[in-house]
Amino acid sequence: MHIENYLNVINACRFCFMCRHLDPVGNVTFREADTPRGRALMCDRIRMDAANLSNADYIDAFYRSAMSAANRFHCVSDYDETGLVLAVRRDIVEADLAPAAVKALAKTLEKDTFSVKGKGRVLYFGPTPELYKGCAVITGGDPGKALAVLGFEAASKKVFTRFKKAVTDSGCKTLIVAEPSAFEFLHDRLPGVKVIHSAAYFVEQGMNKTGSRKAVYLESDFLKNTCGNPSAPRDLLKQLGYKLVPFGTNVEESYAVGEGAVVYDTLYPALAERLCQRVYDLAEGLGKTRFITASQTVKDTLKKYNPAFDVITLEEAVALSQD
Amino acid sequence: MTPKNYLYEMIRSELTWVVGDEHVQANEADNLGHSIDYYWVPECWHDRGERPTPPDLVVYPGNTQEVAAILKIANTHKIPVTPWGGGSGSQGGALPVYGGIVLDMKRMNKVIEIDPVTMCVTAEAGINAQHLEWEVEKAGFSTMHLPASISCATLGGFIAHRGTGVLSTKYGKIEDMIMSLEVVTPTGEIINTLPVPRHASGPSLTELFLGSEGTLGVVTKAVMKIHPIPAARKFHAYLFETMHDAMVAGSQLMISRMRPAVIRLYDEASTARIIKRVLNIDRKGAYLVFGFDGPEKIVDLEMEEACKICEKTSKEDLGTEAGQSWWKNRYKFFYPPYMFQLPQAFGTLDTVATFANIENVYWAMKNVVKENFPQAAFIGHFSHWYDWGCMLYARFIIDEPPKDPNEAVALYNRIWDMAIRAAIREGGVINEHHGVGLKLGRIMRDLYGPAFNVLESLKKVLDPNNIMNPGKMGFPGKGV
Repeated sequence: MHIENYLNVINACRFCFMCRHLDPVGNVTFREADTPRGRALMCDRIRMDAANLSNADYIDAFYRSAMSAANRFHCVSDYDETGLVLAVRRDIVEADLAPAAVKALAKTLEKDTFSVKGKGRVLYFGPTPELYKGCAVITGGDPGKALAVLGFEAASKKVFTRFKKAVTDSGCKTLIVAEPSAFEFLHDRLPGVKVIHSAAYFVEQGMNKTGSRKAVYLESDFLKNTCGNPSAPRDLLKQLGYKLVPFGTNVEESYAVGEGAVVYDTLYPALAERLCQRVYDLAEGLGKTRFITASQTVKDTLKKYNPAFDVITLEEAVALSQD
Repeated sequence: MTPKNYLYEMIRSELTWVVGDEHVQANEADNLGHSIDYYWVPECWHDRGERPTPPDLVVYPGNTQEVAAILKIANTHKIPVTPWGGGSGSQGGALPVYGGIVLDMKRMNKVIEIDPVTMCVTAEAGINAQHLEWEVEKAGFSTMHLPASISCATLGGFIAHRGTGVLSTKYGKIEDMIMSLEVVTPTGEIINTLPVPRHASGPSLTELFLGSEGTLGVVTKAVMKIHPIPAARKFHAYLFETMHDAMVAGSQLMISRMRPAVIRLYDEASTARIIKRVLNIDRKGAYLVFGFDGPEKIVDLEMEEACKICEKTSKEDLGTEAGQSWWKNRYKFFYPPYMFQLPQAFGTLDTVATFANIENVYWAMKNVVKENFPQAAFIGHFSHWYDWGCMLYARFIIDEPPKDPNEAVALYNRIWDMAIRAAIREGGVINEHHGVGLKLGRIMRDLYGPAFNVLESLKKVLDPNNIMNPGKMGFPGKGV
């Protein structure tokens, strides 16, 4: 089983409570199963007796995880609890035990294909191609990250192979990626191609300050907790003239409404709404402050449950500066 | 209760009517988490492939009225109720050893008011302690209750077990910090204790519920003192030839009525084993660290005077850096792999005593462990210092305990029995901040003598059907 590669995590986390205050789902459901300790205990039971892998309550808890990686980021020993959840999801999928909704979603994601439009030395992958003059554009769905997160590793590889072929065929040696989940997935998988996040691209270009406005930058699970917390998003917003204000009560918790699980709102809309509600509640004291996120998915989720919530993406912030 | 009969469904329906369907859970994922707390015995049970007793139902109340309604239902049907905060207690106090209802309080997590005039915060008891501290800090203050369990425990959990934070020497234990409580009694009445902690209107009801471990009712709300963020907080560390030399210096700091925020003294074995591993300070001797906080000029003056005391008997001045390093890494001691891990057997023989007795308590426990359990290592540090004495955080560790869970638990209990009874003989009290729970209930009568009858009488009056956390704190169980 894949979880056997994470025995150190199981042994460390199964009786450890030191990061439980940071599990975004645990913080809205309050359930012991929605903490790294709870999940490690279940994995330990599966390790002891593989029959427990088919426990429907366990499976639901594993898929309910928002996988924010805030817990790993917090841990002084960097135990990879997110990796453990990915591993057990792979075990579930390989045993053909994935919930029907997960299987149905995977079937859809497996069909994603990719095509490149335009010509140039730089390729862009994201929702706002009009910002990238002179760049070729690759379009399609998710490059394989969502399938990987759901535990469908083989299908993920197939989709990624299609994505990689499209990139290779384009001849481009630089790929700009907007969505943090895709950036995290792609940044070290394309030999010979420099993969950069769109925020870093704009910072390199140099943006003109176009005003002065208070804003909250909602940290990305992937950029902050998995990709070394690059300063580019904050640097970009400062270049654009935004005055960033702190949000929430701390800098450790994830407010990214399920970003780490990539397709969270599709599978668990009620929980995603509760994650959003936590953000809305915390935002109440800030008055008319704009929220800015690196992720289109995060923005869409926040808008879905409160259309009046003032949230835009980093790319939209750039677009506004060019109006 | 059994999940198979219709009475179970009747009771579940009643509870669902009170809190809503989503907030009554009986699934295996949640039950597993609620069957194991931070007590070594259920951890060992799980580690050896056994299944610790799960609750029949986990109920998540959203407000005080719901808690009252749940307890009325439980009292009617005589169902055991075990309150659960963060589940991070080390004494088994939150284990549903007779099944029944686990009352998970974490939904009650609101900060109701931060009052900068009186300098207090009112919060629901289920709030995670780190979340509470963050909210109070955002308002420009601190609870100053900063134990290693801050990330996992709840405010109610601290109250239930008379918790102690790292800055206890200056700011006190939780019982010094709590102004008043809202409590639901076992029969479902909602009561409030008097709004100030110092009065002459009879005995303190607040004190009655502080440390009652959910056996006398459920704390639902608390008013807690808050403090300004100090302008300066500084630390200094010294190395002493022996633990005794360091104890002399530490007690001098306290009996000269200085006001350190914290003092920690590690015995020679802890210094060699723990301080080396976590702080990378590789020395032979006893490591002592202390810190002061407040206005910088006062802190500097206090620090100067404290250093003068330590310099009389210390072996080496480790300086401010070795002190700051301890503060920076104060929680690291409790993260894996720095903390002991199963399959090791380990226990914290938390004992508190006067300065006149504390070293005798240490040696009595150490000798009894050494003489009777040669396979066990014994280390200790002195954690929470007051103007009359301090707390001994002694630990025994067995690297290879028996594989059979019954044998392992029996050995574990034998060590506890002998070590704690040796401590009590020397004037030690179990314990300073971990509580009694399931682990030490059997020793309560020895500790209290005839005074335990008073506690038992209170329990019988408040909880006539013995539904609240039965079998804990030495109170009667439900029968096995």
